[in-house]
Amino acid sequence: MESIEKKLREEAKRLLAEKKVDVIVGYEKGTLPLCSTPCFISNSEDTDRLVWDFFCRQNLAKYVHDLLFQHKESQRNVKPEEKTKKVIGVVARGCTSRSLIIHLQERQYHRDDVVIIGVPCTGYVAQEKIADRAGGEEIREGRVEGDKVVVKTVSGVKDIPLRDVIADNCLTCRFNNPVISDIMTATDAQPMSPDQEYVQVDEFGKRPLEERWAYFTGEMSRCIRCYACRNVCPSCYCKVCFVEQSQPRWVGIGIDETDTQVFQIMRMFHMAGRCVDCGACVEVCPMGVDLRRFLKKLDKDGFELFNHRVGAVLDEPPPLATFRDTDKDEFIFEPE
Amino acid sequence: MAENRLNKGWEPKIVAFCCNWCTYAGADLAGISRIQYPPSVRIVRVPCTGRINPFYIVKALQEGADGVLVSGCHPGECHYLTGNLSAKRKFAMLKNFLSYIGIEPDRTVFTWVSASEGERFARVVQGVTDAVKVLGPMDKLAKRI
Repeated sequence: MESIEKKLREEAKRLLAEKKVDVIVGYEKGTLPLCSTPCFISNSEDTDRLVWDFFCRQNLAKYVHDLLFQHKESQRNVKPEEKTKKVIGVVARGCTSRSLIIHLQERQYHRDDVVIIGVPCTGYVAQEKIADRAGGEEIREGRVEGDKVVVKTVSGVKDIPLRDVIADNCLTCRFNNPVISDIMTATDAQPMSPDQEYVQVDEFGKRPLEERWAYFTGEMSRCIRCYACRNVCPSCYCKVCFVEQSQPRWVGIGIDETDTQVFQIMRMFHMAGRCVDCGACVEVCPMGVDLRRFLKKLDKDGFELFNHRVGAVLDEPPPLATFRDTDKDEFIFEPE
Repeated sequence: MAENRLNKGWEPKIVAFCCNWCTYAGADLAGISRIQYPPSVRIVRVPCTGRINPFYIVKALQEGADGVLVSGCHPGECHYLTGNLSAKRKFAMLKNFLSYIGIEPDRTVFTWVSASEGERFARVVQGVTDAVKVLGPMDKLAKRI
């Protein structure tokens, strides 16, 4: 991981010095222990701030879209001959690169607007899991040593096996190496175990209907509608989100529980064929709502019904924007 | 729910999203041919099934529909050539997703009815009404205030 970090800094420095990119979106050390936060570097002397470790959680594709979108807006009233181009360099692991592919498929920007610095990924540490293992105590210090995480809390120092605290979505990740990249910082990482991908979804789908509904409503009753899941999601980029539309008002803003359920159903359904399972929404949820269980179902259906892996191929259209004559139609109602 | 099911007076409310070019005409034909079918459907005319945002369906369920019927042109007969085919993909995923989170699959029904199939439209409505009657009133996701 140190060698990746070193190479990453070198490449970032070179790209900035050669003016190949205007800004590098990457991760830097966070202010809290066991935490790395997104950072934006536009000066080649600052590239030493870049880090790559087990605590790089967020999907950076979100910022690429935001920055390019802001730039596009700022160019609106500029004379054609004075228009400038902005190129964003981004540190991308598998899921980030897939999110970028989705943006490109959906024509949000051009391929040459972004320089992808690929990093092979071995998963990130889930905040909730590590908090659980620390017994809910405040983590004062922490670091990774080999295959364990050493955590210092009030009651002493604890060793936690790294494998136990890696996020669920990383453990079953199919694309831990970038799908597309301009520069690779290291050779490909070892594959995770993607054959376990849908175990949880299959198990849940077999439960009785009422039990599934009870679980769904139980999870959604915890949702406080802070919209953090929406704000962090790289595939959620509508200028006006349906929850904020007032003509018509799609979702009530009161405390009615069905409004929350409907909001979540629709936000998740918007992810059909677009969710790359980066786990960002789960990581940021302050209430720990189990969103992934439902999002993964859409991912599974997309693959089983349309043979489409989200963000795996650049030239492929999104599954709900196209069709095939061979699409299954058993679900179509036939009257007697 | 069991009590409700025994409620003699209860009749299901079904929102039917009908394509302007086929099913809506089919429903019209059923009417002018004086074919009897349950009065449970409330028809919403849409230009094409491809125009239907899945949100309409979820929203109808939230606003008190006991079932939602979506009906468009048979594959290959779309007025806009392929609107119904891309709609089919959306509906397949929506139906799966709603039943995955625990909403009875029989409450969301998708079918094709052409302009000349007035009799088929009546049978579809009969079929959906019967299925929803078995399930009883929609108590999940329905907004009460």
